[in-house]
Amino acid sequence: MNDSLRSVRDFFVSLKLTVVLLALGMVLVFFSTLDQVHLGIWGIQEKWFRSFVVVHDTGGSRVPVFPGGYLIGGLLLVNLISAHLYRLKLVWRKAGIQLIHSGVIVLLVGELITGILQEDFQMTIVEGASRNYSESFRDYEVAIVDVSNPAYDDVVAIPDAVFSHGGEIQHAKIPFRVVPQFYFPNSSARPRAQVPNAPRVGATHGELDARFVVTEQAIDYSQNGRNIPTALVALVATEGTIGKWLLRPEIPVMRPGEGGAPQLDIDRTAPERFTYGGRTFEMSLRLVRAYKPFSIRLLKVTHDNYVGTDLPKNFSSRVELKTPDGRDDREVLIYMNNPLRYGGYTFYQHQMEAARGLTGLQVVRNPGWLLPYIACVMMTLGLVLQFGLSLFAFNAKRRAKAAAQPKAA
Amino acid sequence: MLVRRTLPALIALTVALGGCKKPEVQSYRVAKETPPPAGTPAVNAPAANTPAPAATPMSGTPVPTASGAALAWTAPAHWTAKDPGGMRKGSYTVKGTGGDGDMSIMAFPGDVGGDLANINRWRGQIGLGPIAEAELASTTQHLDRNGLHITLAVVNGAGAQGILGAIVPHGDATWFFKLTGPAALVAQEQAAFTAFLDTVKPGAQ
Repeated sequence: MNDSLRSVRDFFVSLKLTVVLLALGMVLVFFSTLDQVHLGIWGIQEKWFRSFVVVHDTGGSRVPVFPGGYLIGGLLLVNLISAHLYRLKLVWRKAGIQLIHSGVIVLLVGELITGILQEDFQMTIVEGASRNYSESFRDYEVAIVDVSNPAYDDVVAIPDAVFSHGGEIQHAKIPFRVVPQFYFPNSSARPRAQVPNAPRVGATHGELDARFVVTEQAIDYSQNGRNIPTALVALVATEGTIGKWLLRPEIPVMRPGEGGAPQLDIDRTAPERFTYGGRTFEMSLRLVRAYKPFSIRLLKVTHDNYVGTDLPKNFSSRVELKTPDGRDDREVLIYMNNPLRYGGYTFYQHQMEAARGLTGLQVVRNPGWLLPYIACVMMTLGLVLQFGLSLFAFNAKRRAKAAAQPKAA
Repeated sequence: MLVRRTLPALIALTVALGGCKKPEVQSYRVAKETPPPAGTPAVNAPAANTPAPAATPMSGTPVPTASGAALAWTAPAHWTAKDPGGMRKGSYTVKGTGGDGDMSIMAFPGDVGGDLANINRWRGQIGLGPIAEAELASTTQHLDRNGLHITLAVVNGAGAQGILGAIVPHGDATWFFKLTGPAALVAQEQAAFTAFLDTVKPGAQ
């Protein structure tokens, strides 16, 4: 091994690195906790923990201020594994420490797997309807769906993180390029009648631009805050621009409310439909979808109160779970503390609007859910073994010492 | 040796796993979705204090606008009603040779820019340039049906697309009846579209 390789190895196996990383981890937790005044919990997770570098917005310019959770955790993982392989000897005496270290490694790997693979989505169904996909709570995508075939739809989904970068997007499945014109991560829409002189944004297709004035809003990071994005999309083919569409996942509508008075409500926007090259497409800005190999149909929602009060007693959803191959076709009752577990997913009763016959299920899938438990067991065993071995060694030493001393007469 | 080979691999694995989260454009194929009942509320929408009106078939049903005025109509039997979504008052698929047509019925407050602006918008949608005010009279027909004044425009694109459109001012709003589809289908549906306009009338209040 040459000198430079040796110095790299020494850096990664160094105990000083462990101490520095642990100290940085503590500082990270401290400042991220303070930052919760400005951001909600998911904003904190994304900014401080699920990032390589913490980037702070200082009034318009974004400045890297601290190593992120992935960098600190990743280096700690490498450091631990390296130390394990290079410094610690595989001897019975050190088995406790080895187990504790391995437990920490499993814990770190578990968080990494959770951060990357965990799905925490929702499934909103109205009575009688069936769903075979869940939707993100807060991430959006521009979906271009080729609906020409009567049997199936071909979907090209562009995540908002890709779309908001602004570069042209080309994909083999669509015969045109997608050119983002602008993307507002959060925005408001007011009926044009309320703001008659507001300029249009230049959409050539669809009715949204004619009906609404959209304005960019600051991103809401609060726990229950909702961000409604708006995008202006141009589709460009070899012969020129096909058109520009204003997309928004939902729009305000007025509906007859109590006593017939108009009441503000929110509806999902229908996809924009167009034909190009003999194929029919539908384009929409929607919550990111994750399709499932099974479907869930909502049969009935029940919202019981304690008799004579408005106190909720029970929320439940009776659903029909069905797979296309007919292997599963059964009814399940989902209620508080009794989720449906199927195919690696857990469906919790999350929201309910019984008056509208609407249920919201939280859909969670975490392939790494078992790892923190395994890590805790490993670390506990390691501690017991380490202290147990020390205790036995201490006792043995004391007995030996006692045996060596001359007994009092 | 094993140890020396393992460490770089582990570091590479960690970095690779970290890079896995990068969002990417995805493509996949799914079975056709059964449209949800009309007026499906948005996810996480604030709860209404009262139940939403029940979903009913659009054909022949008075549809209230924001201002309260309503129109009713009867769609031809061969038009297939579909989920109107949040913005449309009515929505149909019109089957034909060379592709399907999309029939939309929408209503907006005010005059939405007037006949010329809207017809030029439709022309832009199928790749035609705008026309001047003077040309408007020669490209539109005016019909008076059931107490409504209807402006009918047949817009045939340079390419394969065409639009049959009708603009109907009613109350404080303007209603738009628009059939978009392949030019052959638009030509074929012209008689049915005009007959459909004969059925449009103010809804019972």
